[in-house]
Amino acid sequence: MDVAGQNAQILSAREMGFVACRRCTKVWPAGTTTCGRCGSAVISRDTLSLQRVWALWLVGFMCYIPANMYPMLQTRTLLSVQEDTIVGGAIELIHYGSPGIAFIILFASVVIPIGKFLAIGFLAISVTRPSAVSNHHRQVLYEVVEYIGRWSMIDIFVVAIMSSLVQLNTLAAINPGRASLFFALSVIFTMLSAQAFDSRMIWDVRTDQKRDDAEGRKGHAAND
Amino acid sequence: MTDTPPPVRIEPVRRSIFGSTSFIWIIPILALAIAMAVAWQSYNDRGPLIEIEFENGAGIKKRDTELRYRDVTVGVVEDVKFTPGLDGVVASVRVDKEIAPFIDVGASFWIVRPELSAQGVSGLDTVLTGVYIEGAWDSQIGPAQTRFNGLTDTPLFRYGREGLQIALRTTGQGSLTDDAPISFRGIEVGRVGKAQISQSGNFAIAEAIIYHPHSRLISRSTRFWDTSGFTFSVGPGGAEIDFQSVATLLSGGLTFDTFVSSGSRVTDGYMFEVFEDAETARASLFNASEVQPLEMRVVFEDNISGLAVDAPVELSGLQIGRVQGLSGVIDADAFGDERVRLNALLYIQPSRLGLPGESTPQAALEFINKRIQEGLRARLAAASIFAGGLKIELVQVDDAPPFAGSASRGGIPIIPTTESEVSDVAATVEGVVARINNLPVEELLDSVILFLNSARAFVASEDLQGMPEAVTGLLGDVRGIVTSEDVQDIPVRLNATLSRFEAILAQLERDQFTTQLVAAVDAAAAAAQGVTASVSGVPALIAQVEEIAAKAAALPLEELTQELTGLTASANAVLSTDAARALPADLGAALNEINATLRELREGGAVANVNATLASARDAADAVAQSTQDLPSLVARVSAVLDQASRTIAGYNRGEALSRDAQAALRDLSEAASAIAALARTLERNPSALIRGR
Repeated sequence: MDVAGQNAQILSAREMGFVACRRCTKVWPAGTTTCGRCGSAVISRDTLSLQRVWALWLVGFMCYIPANMYPMLQTRTLLSVQEDTIVGGAIELIHYGSPGIAFIILFASVVIPIGKFLAIGFLAISVTRPSAVSNHHRQVLYEVVEYIGRWSMIDIFVVAIMSSLVQLNTLAAINPGRASLFFALSVIFTMLSAQAFDSRMIWDVRTDQKRDDAEGRKGHAAND
Repeated sequence: MTDTPPPVRIEPVRRSIFGSTSFIWIIPILALAIAMAVAWQSYNDRGPLIEIEFENGAGIKKRDTELRYRDVTVGVVEDVKFTPGLDGVVASVRVDKEIAPFIDVGASFWIVRPELSAQGVSGLDTVLTGVYIEGAWDSQIGPAQTRFNGLTDTPLFRYGREGLQIALRTTGQGSLTDDAPISFRGIEVGRVGKAQISQSGNFAIAEAIIYHPHSRLISRSTRFWDTSGFTFSVGPGGAEIDFQSVATLLSGGLTFDTFVSSGSRVTDGYMFEVFEDAETARASLFNASEVQPLEMRVVFEDNISGLAVDAPVELSGLQIGRVQGLSGVIDADAFGDERVRLNALLYIQPSRLGLPGESTPQAALEFINKRIQEGLRARLAAASIFAGGLKIELVQVDDAPPFAGSASRGGIPIIPTTESEVSDVAATVEGVVARINNLPVEELLDSVILFLNSARAFVASEDLQGMPEAVTGLLGDVRGIVTSEDVQDIPVRLNATLSRFEAILAQLERDQFTTQLVAAVDAAAAAAQGVTASVSGVPALIAQVEEIAAKAAALPLEELTQELTGLTASANAVLSTDAARALPADLGAALNEINATLRELREGGAVANVNATLASARDAADAVAQSTQDLPSLVARVSAVLDQASRTIAGYNRGEALSRDAQAALRDLSEAASAIAALARTLERNPSALIRGR
């Protein structure tokens, strides 16, 4: 996948000795610690960002496990109580002959969250070591993750709407299962995790690489 | 781009733990801690897993079926597996930690499922919620056990329905029904459990429970019997159909009663027998009574057949014992002769005498000896009119001869006897039979047969069969005629007519008309002869004849004939009336009404008149008959002689009409006479008709 200007030499603000305010986007000379315009803290690279990403990612992942183990939806009719996990419900839907809906559920509740975990994890790892994926691709990936994160809550919405609509006392009732809470927590923490990621670090990788190379060369030269 | 900013001095990050670590790590650590805590708690709270083996799954569902104790959920089935040999199902139940210690060796488990039986519906709630496993254990913590064998049915003894646990076994042809209710006075006080056939196969045995507090009704002398189905009996009290309830009719049931008061309490595990009916149960009280029976004997003078072993011994109608044995006895020393006497050995049950204090044979003997001194005697009596057996009755005889002690034979005391009641009955019946025998039944039957044969012939005769119709018709006719007024007028009119006729005849007689006429005719004949002899004298003769004719014409013959014609016409009119035509029949049938009329006639002298009239009429009729015998020839001769003169005496041709009318009148008259004669005959035959009016 080619991104326009991929191969062009990109200079980061940091390389140019600037630092941008993340709130009002005013560019200050490097070393400025407080934005003169909006007064927020200005920092060129959030060094603790990755820790936050990983911490929140971990919590989100922890929540995702019980979200899949416990039942998502509890359907109680007069004669029976049915509890379905996410995957179990999807499989049941396939058995009932609705593969389309099952696919949507599987996509929204399984594929996307897992993809988000993988994407965030990949981004967090990729900023600390050289990667075969170009910075542009990683930036696109980050934007996609951030954009799509909120849509994972659609599952929770469905559960909330169903359980508020179908409350016919003893005849039939749909209640959210324990998994819905964990699933919501998982979505929330992955969203926070994605937000905690300082996307500027994507662009530092090459720079660091070049600098390392340059330093290496200097070292070699010195040794030589 | 030319003005490159100075390179930023990058300071190495201080690698202190606190400085380089974000506080955000608290969140996952906290989450992990919570998760760990929850996991630990749930693991800690989790009770032990017990395994219950059932014959079949019966609807047990994993993670759904509950284990209940007193209807409170204390566990959930976690897994359902097969036993290694596939001959059963093992349900793994996770039980609550608090309750787990109580599930010990004594625990029992069974599956509660909806059940529809003759006693009702149970477990209906499980239709909706699914089956559950009910457990029962005591409140003592015993040796632990984790593997149990589930029961196939709800156990009879379980906690919550405590009661006296007994065993029941059948006797004879009796039967036991599983889960049958045990009722007492219509109230269910217990239940029979699963019945089993004994190893030898000759009786069925079942455990049963009598719930508290009804268990106090049970003592060792309690007897159980079967009330299932119904009994139908016909006896002196009429037909009787008996069944306890519809439920027992369908499913069987037991009831019990304690016939005697003495009886110690029973403990769990005591075995009772189930009898076929109340009678058998009551009778059995003696066979299995724990009190030693009192042996006594009775020697009867008269050896009457019909007394059998096991025949009842009754005192005041209450059975107090039975005949144990029968034998003949010859005891010359005791009785003074060599006759064979009936010796009956009695077993008297002391507890049936209702003695105060302890029921012992000794007390019973003392009681009976005392009563014997007061006149208690034994006698044979018919046990039942229908069964025909005999029983031994102990009765009070007021003027009994004193009994001097019991002549002991083998140490068994004797009860003195009195006259048997059975002989009286037999004698009476015999007398009746003898009298019936002496009845001349055969002769009576012969006579009856004879009579019946005659009667049959008589009844079958046609005359008799026709008689009722004839009689009915006759009576109807008579009634119709007698009531007509015409009949009552007839005698009056007859009387008038006859008197007029008499007058005419008397005139005729007086005028001597006939003789004159005869003479004249004779003369004319002589003249005619003369005429024939001498034709010359004809004109003179004619003149004479004319004279004669004139004379004859001068005679009142015309008036006579007119009168006669009138008379006959009127008689004709009378006789030609419907009433007169019907007269003969009327007269024959109207005897009764004439009764009154005749009385009238008798009073008015009518009978005498009639008699006289009739006599005159007879004379006149004779005369008339005589004259009329002559008259035709006379007339013929006159007409033959005088046909020349016919023109002149054309008017005289009325004579023919006269004779015709007279003949008709006479004919009618003779009919009337014959009718009266018939009437007289009838009266002669049946004089009472005149009196009775019939």
